[in-house]
Amino acid sequence: MSEQKTTVVQTLDLWKIFEQEAEEVRAVRGVNLEINRGEFTALAGPSGSGKTTLLNLIGGLTRPTRGHIWLSGHDLTTMSNQELAQMRLERIGFVFQAYNLLPVLTALENAEFPLLLQGVQQEERAQKVRTLFKRTALDGLENRRPGKLSGGQQQRVAVIRAVVGEPALVLADEPTANLDSSSSAALVDLMQELNRELGTTFVFSTHDPMVMERSRRLVQLVDGSVVSDKTSNSIAT
Amino acid sequence: MNRHASILIRLSLRNIQRHARRTILTSTAMVIGGALLIFSLTLGDGTHEQWIDSAVRMGSGHVLIQTPRFQASRKIEDRLSSRSRMLAEIALAKDGITEHVVTISPRLAISGLASSPTGARPVQIMGIVADAESEFTVLNDKVVEGRYLIPADGRAAYVAAGLAESLDLQIDSRLVLTAQDTDGEIASLLVRVLGIFRTGIPEIDYSLVHIPLSTAGQWLSTSSEEVSTIAILLDSVNSVQSVTSALQHELKDILAEGTIKVMSWRDANPEVDAAVKIDNFGNYMFQSILFTIIALSIVNTVLMSVLQRYREFGVLQALGLTPLQTGSVVLIEGLILSIVNSVSGIALGLFVTWYFWGDGMDLSALSSEEWSFAGIVMDPLIVPSFRLVRVIQSLVFIMSVGVLASVYPAIRASTIDVAEAMKFER
Repeated sequence: MSEQKTTVVQTLDLWKIFEQEAEEVRAVRGVNLEINRGEFTALAGPSGSGKTTLLNLIGGLTRPTRGHIWLSGHDLTTMSNQELAQMRLERIGFVFQAYNLLPVLTALENAEFPLLLQGVQQEERAQKVRTLFKRTALDGLENRRPGKLSGGQQQRVAVIRAVVGEPALVLADEPTANLDSSSSAALVDLMQELNRELGTTFVFSTHDPMVMERSRRLVQLVDGSVVSDKTSNSIAT
Repeated sequence: MNRHASILIRLSLRNIQRHARRTILTSTAMVIGGALLIFSLTLGDGTHEQWIDSAVRMGSGHVLIQTPRFQASRKIEDRLSSRSRMLAEIALAKDGITEHVVTISPRLAISGLASSPTGARPVQIMGIVADAESEFTVLNDKVVEGRYLIPADGRAAYVAAGLAESLDLQIDSRLVLTAQDTDGEIASLLVRVLGIFRTGIPEIDYSLVHIPLSTAGQWLSTSSEEVSTIAILLDSVNSVQSVTSALQHELKDILAEGTIKVMSWRDANPEVDAAVKIDNFGNYMFQSILFTIIALSIVNTVLMSVLQRYREFGVLQALGLTPLQTGSVVLIEGLILSIVNSVSGIALGLFVTWYFWGDGMDLSALSSEEWSFAGIVMDPLIVPSFRLVRVIQSLVFIMSVGVLASVYPAIRASTIDVAEAMKFER
């Protein structure tokens, strides 16, 4: 029996062209991509290949020059800023290369921030966040501000923040780029566990061969175009 | 939005605490500005009240009742009739008016000539009721020789010092006053100098003579009830508007006849009114410049803080805040700073005001001579005047400046390019 596939992300002839000093930079060129629920997908490619721009387009952080993006069946290209914000709040989690935790909030407050915005009650928030903190060996660090955490710890808090609201999709832009190899491996372990256990769909950009090896699907980008799209069976699920 | 309000406020509060030194510097500027604002307003109001009080007590009163032409003509034929005076006094006894009235001084004023064996000078002669005028005027406090008039005095005169000097008058000297009477005839009156006064105001010190109203009436052939002016002293300058309006209402029938006019001190002393307005304008200009500088410092501080947090605003929007909510974080910061600092500044300003309330601020060291202008003497001792409306105005003004100064940074925060903001390096 074949597995029932649900499309989380679909792009159709997606273009992003930046105007830079009267010169056009075609960051994304006619990308057609379909990502299904539960996938663990890496976008790879050299610097300037359009990985981050494609993630930003899928996440509704920037608008395409032309083409369409559907997220869980909703066309992002026709949405207002307000609707995009709501979509990000309810359906997308972000993990950034530079962690981007809010420095004025504690680790716990950072992690529960999406739940606060969603209006989840304090008890439920605390239960969800503390469970994830325990699971990621962050318990005891809840009241520390980001400045008092290591890079690996900060990125784990960022991952918790991304998944705590149970989004349909987590987008991670070079999540291991600022981490040492053991922290990188631990972070990929964590993301894989969450992918497997919660069924969360992960799409991340990376340069890191170790991360590429451990992804189940590898989409190669060159000059804004998809040049290869392979599904690997080398990673145990 | 309501669901998010507490999160936005929490973020704003934490950000305010984040750069304590910068917050303290901005707050200090706002607090000092607020304190200066309220102190300069209370001091300005105190100064103006003193000017007005001086003008009022030097002659005009807070409210005057005259015939419409008397202010310009100063002629005996433009006096109030006995009926007009009676109706005016009935109106002054009405509820809503009488409780504000401190004293009423009927006067018969006329231009004339004063002569002595030494020479003659043009003068302003004022027939007064000694009891009433004593309560009203400050001239009895300005005596330099002799005494002020009392009800028992008959052919007596209280003479300004400059006039006395120019006519070589002493106490008990004889003085002849000459003026046109009600029949248009030239009439003279011999009086004896009982007192000499000096106000420091040249236009008074060289021209004013007080004589008893009854003596003036006999001399100028007016009936005993006829006067040129009914001057009214009120409990406060703040009662002028309501009493003037109430009197105009009570006297509307006779006002319609055109034989009477109810005037405020502003009408009687237009130069003092203009001086108050000009001084207020100057104060407002100074305060506007001060707060423009403070507003620019707030804009600078808040904008710098926004630019430094560019990436954070991008993160907030990536996590699901709308652009409006992101801008609100900055606006709430401005609002919190404005509320706390305006209240603190006003409190400090009121403390300084309170300090000078009892004894006033003595500026006599700045000049050994008496200051006068527009027929009033300026007291070098300035006592600030507290008015609740000034506190409310100041609070609203400082808060508005603080919030308005945060609008541009808030717009910057709400209009960021989220994807670009993520690339921003602090």
